[in-house]
Amino acid sequence: MKKTCLAIAALALAVSLTACGEDQGTSSGGDPTTGGGGDELITVGFVAVGPEGAWRQANEQNMQDTFTKEAGFDLKYAPATNLDQKSQIDAFTSFVDEGVDVILLSATEGSGWEASLERAQEAEIPVILIDRGIEPDRTDLYVTRIAPDNVVVAKGVAEWAVSQCGDSCNYFTLEGPAGVSVVNERNTGWDEVASANPQLKKVGAQTANWSTDEAKSVFETVLKSNSNNIQIVFAQNDEMGLGAVQAVEEAGLTPGVDVKIATIDGTENALKALADGKLSFVAEYNPLFGETALDVVRKALAGEAVESYIIVPSTTFDSPEAAAAALPERKY
Amino acid sequence: MKSSASPPDHPGSTSGPGTTPTKPGAVTGWLKRLFRLPWAGAIAAIIVLLAIDLMADSSYLAVSYNSSTGHLVGNLIDIMRAAAPVLMIATGMTLVIATAGIDLSVGSVMAAAGAVSMEFLSNNQNAASASAALSALALALALGTVLGLANGLLVTAVGLQPFISTLVMMLAARGLAKVITGGQNARATSEPFRFIANGYVLGLPVVFLIALVIAASVALVCRRTALGMMIEAVGLNPRAARLAGLRSRGLILTTYVVSGLLAAIAGVFATASVMVVDVSNTGYLMEMDAILAVVIGGTSLAGGKFSLGGAAAGALLIATLDKTVLFLGVPASATPAFKAAVIIALCLLQSQRARSWLASIKASRRSRADQTEAVAA
Repeated sequence: MKKTCLAIAALALAVSLTACGEDQGTSSGGDPTTGGGGDELITVGFVAVGPEGAWRQANEQNMQDTFTKEAGFDLKYAPATNLDQKSQIDAFTSFVDEGVDVILLSATEGSGWEASLERAQEAEIPVILIDRGIEPDRTDLYVTRIAPDNVVVAKGVAEWAVSQCGDSCNYFTLEGPAGVSVVNERNTGWDEVASANPQLKKVGAQTANWSTDEAKSVFETVLKSNSNNIQIVFAQNDEMGLGAVQAVEEAGLTPGVDVKIATIDGTENALKALADGKLSFVAEYNPLFGETALDVVRKALAGEAVESYIIVPSTTFDSPEAAAAALPERKY
Repeated sequence: MKSSASPPDHPGSTSGPGTTPTKPGAVTGWLKRLFRLPWAGAIAAIIVLLAIDLMADSSYLAVSYNSSTGHLVGNLIDIMRAAAPVLMIATGMTLVIATAGIDLSVGSVMAAAGAVSMEFLSNNQNAASASAALSALALALALGTVLGLANGLLVTAVGLQPFISTLVMMLAARGLAKVITGGQNARATSEPFRFIANGYVLGLPVVFLIALVIAASVALVCRRTALGMMIEAVGLNPRAARLAGLRSRGLILTTYVVSGLLAAIAGVFATASVMVVDVSNTGYLMEMDAILAVVIGGTSLAGGKFSLGGAAAGALLIATLDKTVLFLGVPASATPAFKAAVIIALCLLQSQRARSWLASIKASRRSRADQTEAVAA
């Protein structure tokens, strides 16, 4: 028994080793000889989030399409396994050990990054935060954070909610997982406006882990515990908003009339739902900022100063017509 | 268990009033037998949770009829629907655990099965037809069976530890789900497929009825034939079972295949509910729910005796607990702690030591009372 066990372990190891070998083979040029100047490819380690939803897919695809060999880069894409921070820290550490030229980081969780970032700093590898921020926000540990501004986007949603509210209305928030910087920022933006408008009454908030499935289950129960007396839902991403739509329909109510659902992200599926009148408001959180990132990477390597926070501009869609007009050009 | 039955037999204490309490004795005996059921704790916990919900809202248990949709509506109905996937994987898990094994891959198999059905439907021109939905269902079930078979072969033919082989499958199946959908969350539209998780028959959610029928038929096959006893024999002592003429390997292999198949059904339930497969979230950590349901239901992780009814009670408890947390509006950050507290309380209630400790307190109190009575007489 032991022998067979060992044999299989050895086999598995061999397979994984060859897999690694292939990986390095295709990413030619990313060998110890760093430097960045001349005709050499610049190696970029991308500690990414991986499968999470359409927004993330668009963002990470855009990064991979921008940092191409033709543009002079060798991008090493390392998505997290099941949104696990541990796997991200491992990938980050191995990029530092490998000695890549730049690291791009989209953290699945905001806290717990200081030690890793300090290691990168010792190795003189500039780190650029993509979308997700870190906590505590120590700007001395990274070059810059490039992201659409969550606080501003969430404020926009809250202002729309105020305009729909009338004299008094109840709202519920579907949040992402606790502790993620995006969640905190989207709450901050919303709360800033909501606290100044007492007619917006908070019924509660629950996490649905960015997932359609969980959001449906959460919101069907929330509707019952409040006897359907909820007029506005603030879903912090599109997937959860689409789950809330299904819960509302199943409760025999009409989304868009009885319960108005606002989401952030602006993926194609959400815009379709808005065009069909199921969602009521979609705030875009622009994922396509590969060009900006590329620009920043060049500047950072050249030693130029970069602002510590670069805001990517975003738009909002407040009517089915606006959504229908934007749909044909939607890339994600 | 034995200790709780012994106190009335104490010599001397029964001498006087021994003849009179036959009738109340029958009732208490019945109650005692109920209390001694392995899953009495789960039922008690469900009742306590529902009572808490009732205190929060006196109409919690109300089930009303929605005339526009023709379904029954209510929190109990929601609990039934939420329990369906857990019931499926807990049933499979019970059989595997009874052979002294474990199946950690059920959550990932759910994702893989969901992924293959969603991907098939999203690429199908007539996805709205019943035949497409049936093919998607068949594909999902076939994949689950194959993955279960792989688990079973690793355990029986190769002789790997069940923990390791299913751990490998847990990673592999989720990886497979990502490969199938190209790393994305795949979505599709198909009314017949959606019906599996959202439809109603006679006002009741179809998903719960399907789950109930499947769980009941598994229980029937196990208990009405010798299969259940054979599985128990293998779990208690595989060598002795083999010497007694049982094909242990075949039996163990079967339990893993059944577990994979049931996990695939759970995966179809989970994805059909919203018609999206979320490759990193669908079925994530569901193996924990399944193991919990099995343990709460009174099946020992050491193998041997198992209780499918207990697993069903455990599945219902987990669904009730999830829904209660939402209904009470427990803050998201406190949810895991709340759940853990309930489950620890339940395990304490079921632990042999805690029970006999409670029984000994009761017994000593009773004997003291008897003594004082005797003194007074």
